[in-house]
Amino acid sequence: MGRSGRAVLGRAVKGQWRGVAFGSALGMAHQAGEALVPVLIGVVVDQAIARGDLGALLRWLAALAVVYLALSFGFRFGARAGERAAEQAAHALRVALVRRVLDPGGGAGNGRPPGALTSIATEDARRAGAVNMALMSAVSALAGLLVGAVALLRVSVPLGLTVLAGTPVLLWLGHLLSKPLEHRSEAEQERAAHASGVAADLVAGLRVLKGIGAEAAAVARYRRTSRDSLAATLRATRAEALQNGVVLALTGGFIAVVALVGGRLAAQGDISLGQLVSAVGLALFLLGPLETFSWVNAEFAQGRASAARIAEVLAAPPAVVPGGRPLPVPVRGAVRLRGVTYGGLRDLDLDVAAGDTLGVAATDPADAAALLRCLGRRSDPDSGTVELDGVPLRDLSPADLRTAILVAAHDADLFAGTLRANVTAGLRDDAGTPHGGDVTVVEGAAGVPIPDAPRPAAEAAADPGRAMEAAADLGRAMEAAAADEVARALPDGLDSLVGEHGRSLSGGQRQRVALARALAADRPVLVLHDPTTAVDAVTEARIAAGIRDLRRGRTTILVTTSPALLAIADHVVLLDRGRITGSAPHADLLRDDITYRTAVLA
Amino acid sequence: MNDRTLGTPKTTAAPEETTTPETTTAPETSAVPEGATAPETAAPEKTATPEGATAPGMAARAGSRPGGGSAGRELLPTATPRRTWAAVRESLRPHRGAAAGGFAVMVAATAIGLLTQPLLGRVVDLVAERRPPGALTEPVVLLVVVAVTQGLATALGLSLVSRLGETMLARLRERFVDRALRLPLEQLERAGSGDLTARVTADVSRVAEAVRTALPELARSLLTIVLTLAALAVLDWRFLAAALVAVPVQLHTARWYVRRAVPLYAGQRVAAGEMQQQLLDTIGGAATVRAFRLEREHAGKAAGRSRAALDLTMRGVGLVLRFYSRLHIAEYAGLAAVLLAGLLLVRGGSASLGTATAAALYFHSLFGPVNSALVLMDDAQVAAAGLARLVGVTDLPVPEPPPTPPTSETRAASEGATSQVGTAPEERAASRGAMSEAPAASRAVTSQPPAAEGVVAAEADVAVEIVGLGHAYEPGRPVLRDVDLRLARGERVALIGASGAGKTTLAKLVAGVHTPATGSVRLPVPERDALVPGPGTTRPVVALVTQETHVFAGPLAEDLRLAGPDATDEELRAALARVGALGWAEALPEGLLTVVGEGGHRLTAAQVQQLALARLVLADPPIAVLDEATAEAGSAGARVLERSAERAIEGRTALIVAHRLTQAATADRVVVMDGGRIVESGHHDELRAAGGPYAALWKAWSQARSELPPAPAHDSEALSGPASGPLLTP
Repeated sequence: MGRSGRAVLGRAVKGQWRGVAFGSALGMAHQAGEALVPVLIGVVVDQAIARGDLGALLRWLAALAVVYLALSFGFRFGARAGERAAEQAAHALRVALVRRVLDPGGGAGNGRPPGALTSIATEDARRAGAVNMALMSAVSALAGLLVGAVALLRVSVPLGLTVLAGTPVLLWLGHLLSKPLEHRSEAEQERAAHASGVAADLVAGLRVLKGIGAEAAAVARYRRTSRDSLAATLRATRAEALQNGVVLALTGGFIAVVALVGGRLAAQGDISLGQLVSAVGLALFLLGPLETFSWVNAEFAQGRASAARIAEVLAAPPAVVPGGRPLPVPVRGAVRLRGVTYGGLRDLDLDVAAGDTLGVAATDPADAAALLRCLGRRSDPDSGTVELDGVPLRDLSPADLRTAILVAAHDADLFAGTLRANVTAGLRDDAGTPHGGDVTVVEGAAGVPIPDAPRPAAEAAADPGRAMEAAADLGRAMEAAAADEVARALPDGLDSLVGEHGRSLSGGQRQRVALARALAADRPVLVLHDPTTAVDAVTEARIAAGIRDLRRGRTTILVTTSPALLAIADHVVLLDRGRITGSAPHADLLRDDITYRTAVLA
Repeated sequence: MNDRTLGTPKTTAAPEETTTPETTTAPETSAVPEGATAPETAAPEKTATPEGATAPGMAARAGSRPGGGSAGRELLPTATPRRTWAAVRESLRPHRGAAAGGFAVMVAATAIGLLTQPLLGRVVDLVAERRPPGALTEPVVLLVVVAVTQGLATALGLSLVSRLGETMLARLRERFVDRALRLPLEQLERAGSGDLTARVTADVSRVAEAVRTALPELARSLLTIVLTLAALAVLDWRFLAAALVAVPVQLHTARWYVRRAVPLYAGQRVAAGEMQQQLLDTIGGAATVRAFRLEREHAGKAAGRSRAALDLTMRGVGLVLRFYSRLHIAEYAGLAAVLLAGLLLVRGGSASLGTATAAALYFHSLFGPVNSALVLMDDAQVAAAGLARLVGVTDLPVPEPPPTPPTSETRAASEGATSQVGTAPEERAASRGAMSEAPAASRAVTSQPPAAEGVVAAEADVAVEIVGLGHAYEPGRPVLRDVDLRLARGERVALIGASGAGKTTLAKLVAGVHTPATGSVRLPVPERDALVPGPGTTRPVVALVTQETHVFAGPLAEDLRLAGPDATDEELRAALARVGALGWAEALPEGLLTVVGEGGHRLTAAQVQQLALARLVLADPPIAVLDEATAEAGSAGARVLERSAERAIEGRTALIVAHRLTQAATADRVVVMDGGRIVESGHHDELRAAGGPYAALWKAWSQARSELPPAPAHDSEALSGPASGPLLTP
């Protein structure tokens, strides 16, 4: 993992090398300028103030103006280049991560919850990208350090050496003294952060708390957490304050040493007064670049850790490896399982003729889930094959496969946007590529992304005939899924927004919209998993009839224990303990098979 | 007997459900929350992201809520700047001594530090006066003393200031959470939970960040600036005058910056929030994205959001950098002026070279504090905005103080209030009519359970009494009309009907989530149930379990103890066993101590719902409302959950919103709703025989389960074909 993490960082820098190089060059100018300011103050003291020479003062002030111009310009444009490089690298990593997570082969999630993956795509991508800014800062600081060192050594070699040797020692001492403190404060800050997590968690569960009248208990619990956290925070802040004090004292002591050495040299006439002033100013300045180095170190450490996490996702092996064979044209939709062993499935054989509707009733939900994974090729079976029209799924690319087989999950997610956008999401044009165009199309002119561009409208401009046809298809799918009722209940009908994950809809409404989407996608093979668990009996009956009519002549597999749905299947199999223990029409199984009866009726 | 009247607003002066939040007792809280002024300026997309919700004008109308019609967003109130300051002063009052002490130490530490420059000037003077090198020892030793003293004093001062800030912050967040958790759910639903979540996370952490870093640093910087300017004046007032040349430029720059930065950063936060939301949407729904081949579209959307956030970030960076550029001008102007003043004063003999040097060093050392003070001002503003949003919530009036059982007088009074709630006179009359006439539906109510037969007996044994209840989320779109319903103590009533019939709304009104628009819900509490069982805890009268679930992060036992804070481990086990969850709970890696919820062990949907039912058992309310509490688990899981629910509501009065009719068949009574009205009520067998809507529902439900499938023509055809139908190959 370490090596691939480094590779991620390497790519992040290499992809932005122009920005980093440009930023570094300008940043060097800035740092050099900053180093020259105390030198010039010293020169002014010597050449102008000590002699009372107004002309000299004006000349040197003009020189100072030039230095300021350079440092200001260098800082402004150098830092901008560095930040841009950092942000763009983060953006590139983010996009790569999203692509990897969405890769048809899957396997990127590795059981990570979406929140964790999202945090990798935001925070870790940002930290890894920030390495560019750190690199640019490091190069610039190095320039400042060199200019300062040269200036000091030119004033006086012993004084220069004192300062050059002293500054690292000073920083090292500060580091040494504050390290245990830092360590402690980190641990304690972590505990402090806990309080905010608990608060967010309680608020997230507020409805549940209110439902059982547990507000008082929750408040009491939060108060305890908050007090614990406060105690930890106070220890941490004490440590931090002490650290600040120590650094201040050390810096002051260092200035005293420089004043002593410089003063003695000046008293002996080895250096001028102005040079003494410059030396003191430079000593203070040099702390800056050196502190930058330790900051850069920390940034790199963070960047490496983040890059390792990113690499883990990017380099995760796909759950399924795409095969090289093309999809049969046209897809007839015959599905065959031979000796499939996966999860709880044991040596499973199953045939679905093209155009048939098959019901699968599983006594164990886990077996149903395993079957669904194999059918959608989210996983390949441990042994045995799943075939579509005689072609093993293993030999197809999962992306192609999903244009032929759609496995609609029981808890399929809806997406933020309109109801229409959700239902039409699976509609495809003839080229076999999904709607929505390329990446760049999504951005509006002002760089503001257009959420859910109304694709059917764009299509309508291209071909009004097809648009009408698409609208009719959409209507049929909505009706079959009883989602037309959902649209009617919403204020703006099909154009109503459904919120992220469709949360503004009730469970039953969400389920029907997701079913309408699956039906509208109109795949040669449709696998539906428990599509009616959250709807009432009348609606369920309506949906069952709708599915039957809409999918007539197209292969449909219903994985469910709902009798209303199983009743519309041409044939039903009972999946018990990983094997098929019954196969007959619903009514026959119901009559003859006790296991089936208990599984389906309750 | 005592009554707990739910659903009757405390203020009688609210004839209609207005959209203004209760602000009557918070005089300085702005009455109109941000966003409420422009409910119609809908944002292109509803963003319930923490950041999205914080932006004024982003408060768009939410989509329809699960219960029915749609409602306009109405964010929680934000305190005015004046009120925010007043709140800060109030919370500072108990710590006045500590505040004064901390401030004094910080002043002393900074003042001591400023002795450095004159001491360096003294070294210069000593050299200029050609004193022997030994004379330097004294100022150098003093420099060391100054350094050590300054370090110690600063450490002490910072620690005092931080302690003060952190303590105040802790009190504030505790008050906030206390108030937030007691907010009426109705208000919360109007505001959207995103608003509260954003406040408790983003705003609290922003304020905390400010308290932790910006506040001490800002204090130090400002003190350094003020005291350095004073020190310049002590050297010579003309040095101060020269240094002040920079001030107009700095002030102008600061104002220029803040004017641009505030809206820009607000936009930046919105963009970052939108990116986060899009990533969550896309990554969370990755399986669906893949199944529907939406990879390119979603990758494009995510990239677009990321690019938009990047662009705004770069605009922010550009602004900050221009800001620094202008500060460089100020720096140069001031430095040149101080050097010029030094030259003139030294030439005129009114200052020594050492003094001029000290002045130049003073000014040079001002760069850092001035820059950080100006930048920190920005942080402070952000923190102040966050603080205003926290104070807005902590200032909300505490809802009712429930524990004392209301007397019969308050019941009468609240009933008086109830009748005033009616929106229009004719509607009120209509609901009265409904009450007195008692339509067929409610006659079944009183006739069905034998316990509710006689009037006296009914009074004593009524657990829930609903009279003339009506509700609308939006004016003109009633979702519930004229509902009369009476639940006897211990009765289990199943609420049946198509989606949108008003079942969930009725359940919420009974559970007290919403205030009814018309009519009332009374939950008469017998003396024994009104008793407070344990110290500091009140047993709820009614509990609501919905399909919306949450597992609280932490050990499983702690999650359960939210419902029963004093429950022993044995009681927890008993509650789990009752809902059939003890088996898996004890099989967890660390049993009941296993950390669950966010970042912990992940539970299945069915387990989560069983946990919710176990909490119900521990909370032990006399009345339970279950709203499709078994829906999300799939059909096989649903049956397990039904058994769990059955056990959990044993011995309670229960109102069960169900879509699976098995629950209706086993209930004491079935109430069928349609179009916001009760259309049928009675026992399962009775209704099935009656041939009404329930009979139709039951037919649909049981037909599917009967041995006679609907048998459409093509079914038999398909079955007869030899090639069709799955083949079982042994």
